[in-house]
Amino acid sequence: MDTYDSQGPTSRRRTSNLKDYFVSATPLQKRLKLARRQSSVFPSPSRRKIPQCSQLQEDIDPQKVAFLLHKQWTVYSLTPLYKFSYSNLKDYSRLLSAFIAAEKQKGLAVEVGEDFNIKVIFSTLLGVKGTQRDPEAFLVQIRSESQSSREHRQDKVLWTGWFCCVFGENLQETVSEDFTCLPLFLAHGAESNTSLIGGWFQKTFDCCFSPLAISAFNLSWMAAMWTACKMDHYMATTEFFWSVPCSPQSLDISYAIHPEDAKALWDSVHKTPGEVTQEEVDLFMNCLYSHFHRHFRIHLSATRLVRVSTSVASAHTDGKIKILCHKYLIGVLAYMTELAIFQIE
Amino acid sequence: MDENVAEFLRRIILKIPLCEMKTILEAWDFLSEDQLQSINLKQRKEFLAQEVILLCEDKCASLDDMALLDLMYTQFHRHQKLWNVFQMSKEPGGNDVDLFDMEQFQSSFKRILQRALKNVTVSFRVYEKNSVWIRVAWGTQYSQPNQYKPTFVVYYPQTPYVFISSCYLKSTVPLLHQALKVASKHHQMAQLDLRSRHLDSLTAIVFNEYDQTFENYNSTASWREGSLGLKTDLDSKIIHENTEEKVRIHRATQEAFGAYPQPQLEFAQYKLETKFKSDVGGGILADRKEPLRCLVKFSSPHLLEALKSLAPAGIADTPLSPLLTCIPSKKMNYFKIRDK
Repeated sequence: MDTYDSQGPTSRRRTSNLKDYFVSATPLQKRLKLARRQSSVFPSPSRRKIPQCSQLQEDIDPQKVAFLLHKQWTVYSLTPLYKFSYSNLKDYSRLLSAFIAAEKQKGLAVEVGEDFNIKVIFSTLLGVKGTQRDPEAFLVQIRSESQSSREHRQDKVLWTGWFCCVFGENLQETVSEDFTCLPLFLAHGAESNTSLIGGWFQKTFDCCFSPLAISAFNLSWMAAMWTACKMDHYMATTEFFWSVPCSPQSLDISYAIHPEDAKALWDSVHKTPGEVTQEEVDLFMNCLYSHFHRHFRIHLSATRLVRVSTSVASAHTDGKIKILCHKYLIGVLAYMTELAIFQIE
Repeated sequence: MDENVAEFLRRIILKIPLCEMKTILEAWDFLSEDQLQSINLKQRKEFLAQEVILLCEDKCASLDDMALLDLMYTQFHRHQKLWNVFQMSKEPGGNDVDLFDMEQFQSSFKRILQRALKNVTVSFRVYEKNSVWIRVAWGTQYSQPNQYKPTFVVYYPQTPYVFISSCYLKSTVPLLHQALKVASKHHQMAQLDLRSRHLDSLTAIVFNEYDQTFENYNSTASWREGSLGLKTDLDSKIIHENTEEKVRIHRATQEAFGAYPQPQLEFAQYKLETKFKSDVGGGILADRKEPLRCLVKFSSPHLLEALKSLAPAGIADTPLSPLLTCIPSKKMNYFKIRDK
């Protein structure tokens, strides 16, 4: 994202003023490492809890949850926000609206459709957090008021983004009070709008967005953890997508397993109650590879895993996720938060 | 000219790419040479369409003429359709020496559809002498045919094979099959588990025409000597082993796929209902009687060439699974696999 790299002169000046508090990644990195060493709560990378339905999640407005589900979100990691305050959300709405209006007047590419009134709305997503110490998640929406139908005035949502932190208290511990740590940012809408709004956040709160790619290694973890989730009923098959680097023609392989059978395979592999271990993830994937090899004599391990999709959620290596099951919303976000924090390091 | 006919023509012209406009209009063979020369091909398509509409109005063009133009367009853009393959058969003991009469086939086909639906547009074009292209726009007893969602059929007379574009109106399928069977004097019609956008590759597969260049098979020897290009200063034993292995893979790949260019398919699908068996981890799912239900799809712009390259690239074992190599010979790209 070019916009994020090209900081304006203002933000550069501010960065230098901030030196005393926290700026460069190196001190943060050190503190994070220290925090990790000290903390026993933080999951060690080779062992993670199977997602459970969170108590806090009960607080979430069901309408808002429904809005977050079944949409494809592009995920980013985000460094802590400087001097962000939940009591100023109304001001932020006003300022960001004005910023977008100004950019539009400059004739820059703001994808807001026709000449409608643009409104920006900030709102909190109560309950989207892992512990009480996680900062509240919040949602930003760009809406356009349609002028054509005044009787049924209906806002059209042009772009949505949300910021959250689920079980990320370790990051919060490493920074001073002026910072709010919401390391996971998810956007849905035109990419040009994402970079425009990202630019505003970067200038206003001195933070930095980076696209969060999901490696094949992490995709395997997701597949295992999501297959491990207990479901009342399955809505989708458990599906893997591999891309084969063969020339001159590319080859894609999709491997879908009946969700009940995938669960049976997982249960047969799984030994540690309540937890998923690296050995189990490897064994689960190796079983799938070996079943595939028995039929097709192709080594999937020599190809590239690009997407996994289950009844809980789906994720693409490009950093796109879709959450399907509201029960495990928090569980999915917890892992994504972990990946985002790992990237900020 | 009817307003609907003009609109139909306008939409066909708009979807023809400018670089093909001349070729397709010529192939249509409706406008005269002079009229074709007079069309300005360097203007915006919207105006060009208007110009063609005026020329056609002068010639009192009918809906059938436009349907033929649509058929021409589809012949040029056959890869935009997904084609299904059907195989017809005759009952044993029938009088099997039937001489095919194209006119009789066409009139009988058309009559069956018209009798059932009343409103239907049927167009034919004999193509390269050995196939007939048919376009059917479907209506009902009470409504005019919808010209924008036609079905296309390609029939090879005196063979049992028919290729039909995927049809959005499922209710018309039995009638279409009936008309084809009666007109071509067959009794049964069965769908093959073979589908592709590449109609030419489908015909090559069903008529076994893909291996015509099979003769240059002795290329293994020349390959062994020339194209490896290994440097002679490497350890000669390693070279020898490497060469032996590569030659073995190359030979096995050629035995499975032949030395000719593969017919072009975009996908193959396998429904697996086989019991999980694995030497990994020991005893996983060993007590489970039910099979593991999987659906595996391979997709590629050129599937068979991609599969052919797997073993040489070290991604698959040699020889490759017969499940993958049997696609052209079995004339199938949809499979259901169960334990024996």
